[in-house]
Parts: sequence; C-alpha cells; structure tokens
Amino acid sequence: MLDVFINLGLGLAVALTFKNIALCFIGCLIGTLVGVLPGVGPVATIAILLPVTLSLDPTGSLIMLAGIYYGAQYGGSTTAILVNIPGEATAVVTAIDGHKMAQNGQAGLALGLAAIGSFVAGTVATIVIAALGVPMTRMGLLFGPAEYFSLMIMGLVFAVVLAHGSLVKAIAMILLGVLLSCVGADMETGRERMTFDFGMLHDGIEFVVLAMGIFGFGEIFKNLADPESRDVVRSRIGRLWPTLKELRENTAPILRGTFLGSILGVLPGNGAILGPFASYAVEKRLSKRPQDFGHGAPAGVAGPESANNAGAQTSFIPLLTLGLPPNAVMALMVGAMMIQGIVPGPQVIERNPELFWGLVASMWIGNLMLVIINLPLIGLWVKLLRVPYRLLFPAIVCFCCIGLYSIANDAAQVMMAAFFGLVGYALYKLEFEPAPLALGFVLGRLLEEKLRQALIISDGSPLTFLQSPLSAALLAIGVLALVVAVLPAMRRGRDDVFKEA
Amino acid sequence: MTGSQTNTQAAPSNGGLGRERIAGIVLIGFGGLGLWAGYDLPFMTSDGVGSGLLPRLLSFVILGLGILQLLLSRKDPGPSTGRWAIRETIPVILGVVLFAVTVRGHHLGPISIPSLGLSVACPLAIVASGLAARDARLGELLIFAVVLTAFCIGLFRYALGLSVPVAPWFLGY
Repeated sequence: MLDVFINLGLGLAVALTFKNIALCFIGCLIGTLVGVLPGVGPVATIAILLPVTLSLDPTGSLIMLAGIYYGAQYGGSTTAILVNIPGEATAVVTAIDGHKMAQNGQAGLALGLAAIGSFVAGTVATIVIAALGVPMTRMGLLFGPAEYFSLMIMGLVFAVVLAHGSLVKAIAMILLGVLLSCVGADMETGRERMTFDFGMLHDGIEFVVLAMGIFGFGEIFKNLADPESRDVVRSRIGRLWPTLKELRENTAPILRGTFLGSILGVLPGNGAILGPFASYAVEKRLSKRPQDFGHGAPAGVAGPESANNAGAQTSFIPLLTLGLPPNAVMALMVGAMMIQGIVPGPQVIERNPELFWGLVASMWIGNLMLVIINLPLIGLWVKLLRVPYRLLFPAIVCFCCIGLYSIANDAAQVMMAAFFGLVGYALYKLEFEPAPLALGFVLGRLLEEKLRQALIISDGSPLTFLQSPLSAALLAIGVLALVVAVLPAMRRGRDDVFKEA
Repeated sequence: MTGSQTNTQAAPSNGGLGRERIAGIVLIGFGGLGLWAGYDLPFMTSDGVGSGLLPRLLSFVILGLGILQLLLSRKDPGPSTGRWAIRETIPVILGVVLFAVTVRGHHLGPISIPSLGLSVACPLAIVASGLAARDARLGELLIFAVVLTAFCIGLFRYALGLSVPVAPWFLGY
C-alpha cells in the first residue's frame, strides 16, 4: 500500500511541472468544450488532435488527451442538465433528473452535485488505478500469446453482453470490426488482403479514419436528419453549492456510483457507458422515494455522474497494464503512444514509470481543475450552447477534414472517412451499435497476431488455448458470460437497466 | 443501403421490409462481400494459419448471423427505418470531397486540380457542408467560412505546426 503512495508521489512530481500542468489544463478545457457541445465527442476530438501530439513528449501528450476524455464527462453533464440533450453518450441518464431539477429552479444544485460527485469519483478512480497498476502488470507479464488471445476473446464476449439491443446484431458488429481490421497487407507475408487493389487500402484501414467517419461524420448525418430541439433553461441557475444536508443525502449515491462506475469502466466495450445506467437503476431501487426519480431526484444526478467519471478513468487500466484498449477512446490512446514509439503493454510501467505514474497523477489534478473550470465558468458554457448547430457542424466537418488529412498528409484518408460516415449512418438507421464494431476493429489485428503466434508455438494445435490453465479459465469465463447473457431472465434484467432510465 | 427513401407515415415498413429484415440482408451482404474480397487467400499453409483463415471464417459467420437475423425477423420485420437523410448527406459528402481534392491537388483522368491549400479547401468544405442544414443562410455561412478558415490556418499551421499546405498559389507553401 505504501508503494502506491510513493509511486503517486513520483507521478505528482512529473505531473506538477509547469508544462504538464498547462497541457492538463488545455486537455480539460478542450474536453469540457466538446463535452458541452452536443454532436462533438471525445473520439472525434482526440482523433483530430492526434497528429498534433507529435510535437509533444509522450507523457505530456497522453496527459492532454486523457484530460479531453474525462473532461468531456464533466462537460456532458452540463448540457444534459441545462439543455436536456446529453452532451455525451454517458450523460444520457443525467439528462432525465438533471433537466427536471433545472426546470424546478435547481440547475445550480444539479451542476454542483454532478461536479462534486465527479470529483470524488475521479479521486477514488485515481487511487484504484494506482493500486491495480502493479499487480495487473505482473499478471500481464505472465501472459503468452495463447492467454492474450483468450483474454481478448473474453473481452469481446463482455462487449457483446454489455451492448444493448439485439445480441445477434452486437456479435455481428464485433465480427465485422475484426473483419475490417484484416483489410490490407498480411502482417506476416505482406500479401494484400481484401483490398480490391485499391492503393489506399494497401496499408489497411487506419483506426482514426474509421473512428472519425463513424463517430464524426456519422454523428453529423444523424443530427442533421433528426434535429433535436434545444431547450436551454432560461431560469436562473441558482446556488451551486449544496447544503450540508443535501451533501449528506447524496454521499451514499456518489460512493455507490463511484464503485459501480469503477468496476464497469474496466470492462471492454460499453462498460463506461453502462456505469451511469447501472447507478441510476440501483439508486432508484434503494431510494425511499422511488417515485421522485424522473421528476428531479438529486440522487439520480449525483450517482450516475460519479459513475461515468469513475468509468472514464478506470477504462485506462486495461490499456496501461495489459496494452489492451477497452474502447474507442483508449484505442486512440494506443495510437498516441505508438506515434511516440511506446508500445502499450505490461512493460510500460517498468520502462516508462514517469509516463504511467505521471498520467495517473495528472488525472487527479485534472479533476481538481475541472471543478474550477466548470462551476465558476458555467455562464460561459451556457453562452456556448446558444451557438446554432447550423454553424457548429460545418466547423466540425472542417476540423475533421484537416485532422484526417494530417494523419499521413494523404487526401485519400479524408474520402475514406466520408465513406465510413455513410456506413455509420446506415448502421445507426438499422440500429446496429458502433461501439462493438470499433472494439472488434481495434482488437482485430492483435487478435490475429496472437492467434498465429500461439498456433506456431503449439505446432498448429488449437488445443493450446485449453491446455494452459489461465487461458482455459479466461475462455470459460467468456463462455459463461455469453450463456448467462442468452438466458431469458438475464436478458430481461439487462434490458431493464437500460429501460428504467 | 442509403437508397431506400421512405416516409414513416406513408409506408410503415419500407415496402414489406422492416428495419430488422434490412439489417439481416445487410449482414448477408457484408459476409458475401468479405468472401468475395478474400476468395483468393490461402486458408491454411504448410506452416500454420494462412492469411485467409480469419477473414473467411469471419465472413461465413457474419453471413450466418445475417440469415439468423432474417429468420428471427420473420414474424416481426421491425418498424420502418424512417426517412433517410439523403438531402442532408449529399452536401456534407460534397464538402468533404471538395476538401480532399483541393487541399493538395488531385488528378483524375483529364481533370487535374492544382494544390490549393487550406485557404481554398476549408471555405469550400464549410460552405458546401453548411448548406445541408435546413435553416442554412448563405450570407452568414460565407462570413463564418472566412473567419473559421483564418482561425484554422492560424491554429493548425502556425500554432500547432502541422505541415498542411496553406496557399501554395500565393504563399508558396
């Protein structure tokens, strides 16, 4: 336990240099901005800024990009409460009771509780990452190709279980993602695969291009087709700080939300998004006055907001300790690390301790900054919300184009992203979820690499995945999760969690 | 896929096909496309997994899931997919394509566009895509395009140091 604090001390020393504080602040500010603005998410933003990080050092660039991600969680709640549109997917639940509170003249209280909850969650999640860092890394070092393969399979199964809607569709999306990752030159033989002799497909599809297409352009098509009416709260925001009594009433929801969010955040796929839903369902069930939920219950804001912030941070754990990105944002972090010549995996904590601990410590500093950025500057964010969408989306298109072009100074990537934008819109219309697709794509290449390595080591015997006890156990957990997910009772329960919100 | 434009009120189920059935057909299409794209890849080689194993296996399973989806939606084809936003997507796609062909030039058969840089590509992308909004106002959009272009050039080229061409026809870079 003492080690954790010594390491955090090292991290603080790294994070508290002037440059890193500045980068953390910029990241949090941009994150809040994109969080507040509906229609721009952290995925598109981080993708745009990826080429920019080339000029920074590895620690600094990761600190900034991480700030964008958890900053967006704070910003998303502001929009949810004041406009009734979730600024981010994770703020969907906050909009329900948060906006009702705002209509009742308690906007300030809702914002204050969201910020305090997020800060508590951020602090706890930072300690969780620090505490789990070393043991998880040790475990990661025990993993051979077969174990890694089984772990990824288990992760993909969890992503299916956590996706909402049809299981068939979720499985299909994951597999489609893996299939897309196969496009391009074969990693061993260099042979072209499924490229139809298109030059731009030779090196495979860049994840950034896929992500910006589906999450950037696709989102724009979606919003243009079904414009959301904005209903910015006109009444006054009211006091921001809760009274001692209100704080006491919401301590338990905040802590429960933090706990749920931290656990679900580690899980791949929709984990971080599921956290707030789960927290809302739990609070409603535990509440003495469940009938208040949906009509402005403070616990319905404090719990889910803590959960989404905790989840955003703990989703760094699989990436930093095992090198496996659990969602699209973390996949972009992999990209950011690779640009800097750092291969994500269990060796990072040994070889780049300043990066690992600096990043972890910066998260706590960032959370502190976010409370400062969000609460007193709330008036500024409200003004920003009055920017009409008809001007906002051309700006997003322009930023995306520049970002896409800058990946490789190649205009073909820009066009490819536009194509994926259309695909993303079609998938949305058919109610396919993009998150499992992105995860399948992200893990696809690694999955095939480990599969081949494992089979080479075992002389082509697929039994190797069952002979290693660790690998067999991981696969068993995956199978179990899938069986449980298919059980009718469990499926109903899963739907309830989403529906209750 | 984007071709079926139906109105929610007029045709409740995309001419007999609901959302769930279309989803099944699309999956079959993806699986088929994958099989076709990878038909020439070796399944297994003498020293292990060939480059075609994973793609072909995945394509088959996706195809199978598509059939399963069709069977599941036999009784309930699902609601209509609603209106497809063709009128909104075309200007945005046009804007992106214009950006792509003008930023560093493009050659396609007899047409050859010189490298025009951000100073031309950005306003084109902003104005063309901006027209997609139902409440678009051209005058406002033009002014916005000029301001935003200046901002983008300042931010990406000068402040962040990306090597995007700005105005090769005027500045030389």
